Amino acid sequence: MKRIFSNMTFTISFIVISTIVVRFYFSDFAEALASEPDFFPPDEVLPIASCQEWTENVRNFDVTDEEKAEQITVLMYHRIIDDEDIEEFHFDDNGNLFSTILVKSEFEKQMDLLLEHDYTTLTSLELQLFLMGQLDVPKNSIVLTFDDGFKDNYNEAYPILKEHGFTALNFMITSAISLNDRKYKANEFQYLSVSDIESSCDVFEFQSHTYNFHQRTFNQAAFMEFKPREEILEDLEKSITNLANQNRSFAYPYGAYKDESIEILEEAGFEMAFTVEYRDAVPGDSLYEIPRKEVYSDTTLDVFKEKINLKD
Amino acid sequence: MLLKITLALFSIFILFQLIYIFVPLFTVKNKLNTKMIKEKEKGISILVPAYNEEKVILNCVQGILHLDYENHETIIINDGSKDNTLQLLKENLQLEPTFKRLPAVKIPHEDVREIYQSALYPKILVIDKENGGKADALNAGIEYAKKGIVITLDADSVLDPKSLTAINSTFNDDLVLAAGGMVHIGQGFRGNYSKPKTTFLTSGIIRFQIIQYLTAFYLHKLTQTKMKSLTVIAGAFGAFRKRTLFEIDGFRKTVGEDMDITLRIQRLIKMKYRKHKLVFVPNALCYTECPETYRDLFSQRIRWQKAFVDCALMYKTSFFKKLGFRLSAFFLFESLLLGTINAFTVILIPVILILNHQYYMIALGLFTATFVLSLYQSIAMLIVSKRFDLHFSNKDYRRILRFLPFEILTYRFMGLLFVIIGTVAYFINKDQWNTATRTGKNYQVFGDEEVVLKPRRISA
Repeated sequence: MKRIFSNMTFTISFIVISTIVVRFYFSDFAEALASEPDFFPPDEVLPIASCQEWTENVRNFDVTDEEKAEQITVLMYHRIIDDEDIEEFHFDDNGNLFSTILVKSEFEKQMDLLLEHDYTTLTSLELQLFLMGQLDVPKNSIVLTFDDGFKDNYNEAYPILKEHGFTALNFMITSAISLNDRKYKANEFQYLSVSDIESSCDVFEFQSHTYNFHQRTFNQAAFMEFKPREEILEDLEKSITNLANQNRSFAYPYGAYKDESIEILEEAGFEMAFTVEYRDAVPGDSLYEIPRKEVYSDTTLDVFKEKINLKD
Repeated sequence: MLLKITLALFSIFILFQLIYIFVPLFTVKNKLNTKMIKEKEKGISILVPAYNEEKVILNCVQGILHLDYENHETIIINDGSKDNTLQLLKENLQLEPTFKRLPAVKIPHEDVREIYQSALYPKILVIDKENGGKADALNAGIEYAKKGIVITLDADSVLDPKSLTAINSTFNDDLVLAAGGMVHIGQGFRGNYSKPKTTFLTSGIIRFQIIQYLTAFYLHKLTQTKMKSLTVIAGAFGAFRKRTLFEIDGFRKTVGEDMDITLRIQRLIKMKYRKHKLVFVPNALCYTECPETYRDLFSQRIRWQKAFVDCALMYKTSFFKKLGFRLSAFFLFESLLLGTINAFTVILIPVILILNHQYYMIALGLFTATFVLSLYQSIAMLIVSKRFDLHFSNKDYRRILRFLPFEILTYRFMGLLFVIIGTVAYFINKDQWNTATRTGKNYQVFGDEEVVLKPRRISA
């Protein structure tokens, strides 16, 4: 009897004290475990300075007044996933493919279409000069952009772009870059690794989509709109450091920005910024509010043709 | 990554600590073990290897003379001592050369110079042989032992009068191949050997060892026995079937011959005698003298750790396959990973975590968990000890409870340092190991009416 009593007293007091200890430290451990892995270090510099030099070249298109473009469509993509890799993970609660996912076969058709119609993909610098009225570009010019820097951009989109001789802007959330390369898995949220970035440096222009400000507060306010100026600036500077001081262009996370955002971008040294306003870009547009047209998962080829103003 | 490894290691650590706390707590019944019925006595040979043990050997003999057991013989093996061990024995026991003993000639050992028998106590024999180390001395002892059960006893250890009775009943079970006794710190007892009284009124270094021994034996070895995973029968007091010792060709010359022989018997059980076992016998007591200075403690622990690393390397190919999963798990996870590898990380991790300031709460958390577990383990140890009839006075319990928090922060940390230094020392200089110096202080007496011989120094 006495033995059972002392065993119980001992055990219960142990459980109580353990629970107190666990509860006291739980959040610290949970936080440390959750945040410990894989933030690309803010002071790490991607080895892309030399392989991105091509983005500084401006082509002379030598176009007649008639062939000159009046407006440019800037297309926006997120993820490109092979049709065979599509599974439940990629569908939303209503059973629709997430709008940010485009299957590879559709992407390939779109690129084929662009190639068929002799489209030229512009670099960010060429677009900038066009918008400033300092460069004439052919009518069938286009700008391809990818947001967030998903790993499939390298595994699926890159080979197609390269094959078609196209270039594209890739706006990376630089904190998500993984230092070590991992096996590509379509059913995870994987981001570009350092080696992916190095290998695709000839096709992608790597630009900033913040270091780690692609987030919303619990009130759904985007960090770019909500956070104090200094914090935003600090975050942007980290991404610029990661990108080997490349700071020509920026894409607003969620397309969210306010007047002050533009000042902050200017202060950080960015020369242009992309929104998600759905229209074509024309000379005279604000360089910090460049519109883009998103390509959705359900965009058919006909709708795509409309997007790029292609009439046949 | 580092954090994840740390937490994984720490989880294993917690798991083993919980096993060590709760298995003994819920399996040890009240005072069951104090009931000892007189049974038919099996023959027992006590082997006492002695190398330069002049300060303590007579205490050991005292204990043997007071054994409450008839059917036994004692063989003291003087392993080429350079001091007066042999002369002391000769004078006090009235040794006379004998020719009645012949060796079994099964295990080789260094040459025997002479065999003596005591004229006063014919059950005591002394083998005088060339120096060959502890394992070699034990092998010589086995060769001349006549009884079926062999006890190995350190010269600085004193047997409890009832210890052989406990061993005898343990070996009633034919499946028991070997058994380890309970080793108490002699300095933790006062008064009469036949009715010793505990004391905690002693120096910190001895207090630390008292708690450590009680925890190691009453919690750890007891649990390991329940899990059939006993990794070491302490060299101070072990009991073996003689035929088993012959079957594995006796002791091997190594730094830690006790862990080595335990693992070899475990391997024998796993490979050949599946149902047989090794057990810890909590009511077979002996009292050993522990180091009283940091210097001696240091050299003892370095020796232990070297012995451990030596065994770990020696048996590296035997784990799992030949030693079985549970024993291997205990040895590798508990002793090697947590005892040795973790010692390195335990010392490093707080430094790393504190340098990386965002983790200081983690460091504090790990520390708190360790502290609570250690404290509870010690309390469990006190409860279990009480059930084995080991009581402290209320005053001493208060002393212990005051001492524990301090001890966890200081002495145990020191223990980790010893482990680290010992491991490093093993790889730097594996063969050199100093023997402990004995104090020869005797804190307990045998009943006045029974004083048989007085320890006395012979001037060199």
